[in-house]
Amino acid sequence: MTDENAAQDAVVIERDFDAPADLIWRMWTDPEHFKAWYGPDGATVPVAEMDVRVGGTRLVCMEVHTPNGPAQMWFTGQYREVVPRQRLVFTESLSDQNGTPKSPADAGLPEGHPATTEVTIELEDLGDRTKMRLTHAGVPAGSPGAAGWAMALDKLAACVKAQGI
Amino acid sequence: MTLTIDEDRLTETFAALANSTRRAILARLTEGAANVNDLAEPFALTLPAISKHIKVLERAGLITRGHRAQYRPCILDAAPLQEISTWAEQYRPVWEARFDQMADYLTQLQRQQRQTGEHDD
Repeated sequence: MTDENAAQDAVVIERDFDAPADLIWRMWTDPEHFKAWYGPDGATVPVAEMDVRVGGTRLVCMEVHTPNGPAQMWFTGQYREVVPRQRLVFTESLSDQNGTPKSPADAGLPEGHPATTEVTIELEDLGDRTKMRLTHAGVPAGSPGAAGWAMALDKLAACVKAQGI
Repeated sequence: MTLTIDEDRLTETFAALANSTRRAILARLTEGAANVNDLAEPFALTLPAISKHIKVLERAGLITRGHRAQYRPCILDAAPLQEISTWAEQYRPVWEARFDQMADYLTQLQRQQRQTGEHDD
């Protein structure tokens, strides 16, 4: 449904890496590799549990150092699609250390932030190189008001354009 | 992790939009400025009730009002919506930084593999 996709906010990033698809795949699915690169801005990843199969769960802990000591953020999710070296889809929600999801409000996120997001990794084998495309999207809550909400935002988005902001 | 947008403002914007009457008011205003009477017309609501909705939208910065005492038209201000449309965009710099780190790590890993002559496959 194109309407749904338009209303569903997403960030898409594409990049080529000087490495074969098999190695890029392992960057996402082998906890030891994953821990080595995933934490941005000095964050470390002390825990990465990954049951990489459809329906399998994941639990990731990111630790950042603050003036008040280390702060941990836990994320849980489920694998939705697993096509080795080609396509990986998993959900992500903030959680506690046992993998029990937290509401975005409890986690201090703005009200409009989706409780669950979905990350899609697509790999294109270019021989020695690999094109990686990442899509990070909100998962619509599926509330009855969602359609009206989407329509209102579409209309308002048109208005934003018209105002030239 | 780095939230660059004003979260309080965003929360207020969403709270303002989480009401079908207020969304309808905004939709009406996309067609042009209107006063409270015009805005109340399609709804079975009293003028004070409509005024209350307008105040919520005003506080959220979604509408501004003219200053002529008798006729204070409401004008849509779509700027806060720009922030909503970018909630996912706030993750872009986070992912970009991660990709940089993945590239660095890959370089390091492949150099090590070459040096030790190891092959995983």
